[in-house]
Amino acid sequence: MDSSRSPGGDPRARRAASYNALVTRPRCIAITGLNTFLGQRLAERLLAQPDAPRVVGIDLRRPLRLEGQVSFRRVDLTHPTADGEVASVLSDERVDVLVHCAFRSSPTADREYDHELETIGSLHVMHACSAAKVPRLVIASSTMLYGPRATNPNFLSEEHALVGHPHAHCIQNRVEAEKLLGEWAPRHPDVEVCVLRHCWVMGPSYVDHVVRYFERPVIPVVLGYDPLLQFIHEDDLLRSFERAALEHHVGVFNVVGRGVLPLSTLLALAGKRALPLPAPLLHRLANVPSQGQTGDLPEGFFDYLRYLWVADGERGWHAFGEPVYTTKEAWISFVSSRRLQRFR
Amino acid sequence: MAGSGTGSATPPGEDEELEVLHLALRDLRREIRLRTGDASVAAPDAVGAPATTTDLPEEFDWLGLLQELRHRLGTLGMVERSGEVDEFGMDDITLDRSRVLLDFLMDRYFRVEVLGLDALDPEVPNLLVANRSGLLPYDGLMLSHAVERWHPRRERPRFLVADWLITLPFAQPYLARLGGVRACRENADRLLRKGHSVIAFPEGEKGAAKVFAERYALKRFGRGGVIRAAVENRVPLVPVGIVGAEEAHPILFKAYTPARAVGLPFLPVTPTFPWLGPAGLLPFPTKWIVKVGEPIPLDDLEVGALDDELLVSRLTEELRGCIQDLVNDALERRESVWG
Repeated sequence: MDSSRSPGGDPRARRAASYNALVTRPRCIAITGLNTFLGQRLAERLLAQPDAPRVVGIDLRRPLRLEGQVSFRRVDLTHPTADGEVASVLSDERVDVLVHCAFRSSPTADREYDHELETIGSLHVMHACSAAKVPRLVIASSTMLYGPRATNPNFLSEEHALVGHPHAHCIQNRVEAEKLLGEWAPRHPDVEVCVLRHCWVMGPSYVDHVVRYFERPVIPVVLGYDPLLQFIHEDDLLRSFERAALEHHVGVFNVVGRGVLPLSTLLALAGKRALPLPAPLLHRLANVPSQGQTGDLPEGFFDYLRYLWVADGERGWHAFGEPVYTTKEAWISFVSSRRLQRFR
Repeated sequence: MAGSGTGSATPPGEDEELEVLHLALRDLRREIRLRTGDASVAAPDAVGAPATTTDLPEEFDWLGLLQELRHRLGTLGMVERSGEVDEFGMDDITLDRSRVLLDFLMDRYFRVEVLGLDALDPEVPNLLVANRSGLLPYDGLMLSHAVERWHPRRERPRFLVADWLITLPFAQPYLARLGGVRACRENADRLLRKGHSVIAFPEGEKGAAKVFAERYALKRFGRGGVIRAAVENRVPLVPVGIVGAEEAHPILFKAYTPARAVGLPFLPVTPTFPWLGPAGLLPFPTKWIVKVGEPIPLDDLEVGALDDELLVSRLTEELRGCIQDLVNDALERRESVWG
């Protein structure tokens, strides 16, 4: 079950491996944000396991697909006493692992609510974990938090500073949440924390603002830049989260696909036309259509198509296994699935 | 066709067939050349020979170069990208297509004379350290091209490019595809760990920004990053002196005010540059000499010894002196700037 049992691996991995052998699998896993892509699919995968753990879902809305299979608890993470509510759910259900993925897949125009949900909501979840003495916490994060910068090294390791993007509020919220986690975790050494930072997800069914951007036939790009991008396939993403929930992995992991491709090559592979525009114009245009009211591109998005922010996935591959899809295969899987959908 | 030969063993018939094909191809090429009126280069050899010969080819493929340039103009320089790049963005197909251009620059334009390449160990990654000169990274390109030609397995070292250049719009896509990597310790370590040779220019921006009056006087060498990279990755540290690149882009003086508007550290003023527009960026056809020195012995140095900052700075200074000597030797060897 664990690929981390390699002789002479890093001591933490060896310790985790021996720990795995001793400790039984978790019997109850709670998922915040059950209605997100990640939450829902992860719950399905966990329930399909041979000796499936019990799954507790925490969200605002009752999921339609998983009715009757998960025990659903309605908690509003933006509520000031949400920490107490989550804590009582966690101790009632005797939860072994909490997977926190109640984050926005795409930023909305309601900046205040986004901040309450992502930053303060995460803080509530952390506090609930320590109050209910949950032994393990798995948090979904993103390699976008490293921030696109001209001075990034070609491969960002997990230790790299989280700079984010000054104008992308959702990124800043999550950077702040990770900062809070960094302060909280040392005070609660009895909770094992596992942070999974994943890159842009591609696949047949995943949708967010990035995917919607790439779905267009003509794609505006930044004139004069052709950054290397990396993707992870949705199946690989879910497998990594599943293993993070079921096994003992501690620390921060980049969850990315193997290989990188320049943006121009990606568009050529997909047969899409690129529309190169100067960066200042693009930044302005991105925010014009509806002043951020309906799903147009978040601020700062084009910087992610301008500078390098590729993460080094070595540690994640070692812990959660080799990804099945490379960056190119994930991209092709996305493109070919969209081609079929056009004829639906 | 007896095409069922298993793997390595080629049936004898196949060699002959190949030979016939080669001859036919050569005749065809000659025919094309005669028809396009380029009779002076209609000599029949050097066409079938692959571009892997290390010595100067007898005849240069002018037609190929012309076609290549026309193709490039039509597509803004990006021709036949491959669907795969390596993890630092180097693209083999772009490189293959550019080889004609690089050969031309090396053999005809700069007439690069490469000395002492045998000091390199082809079995291990090498850290080559050279003096930086000229605005555009022709020195890195030429040195990596020279090493690739010499290398028995045609492995191409990557050259590190200073921030201001690799983040320049339009420069970055091309540099990355040709093997340029942003200069920082993380990148150098990763490349060496993965078995690629690396060309570093520790003078960095200061080197490229040298005005003509201070040519071939090496600037301060970074903060000892090269020494640390060589010792920590246990790779040979090879000094290289490059002469000629300095005069290819002679900077008369630097203008700061107009540069600020476009976000550059300075605007170089060469005899041609702002005056002739982009055409002013073409380098002068100077005579180049690349002199590779003996590797600097660092084997007795433990990684722990690097905590001694004074030692690191002394070694860095030694390395600088070594490269300065190589540059001076090469300068003496050269008869004139135009060679």
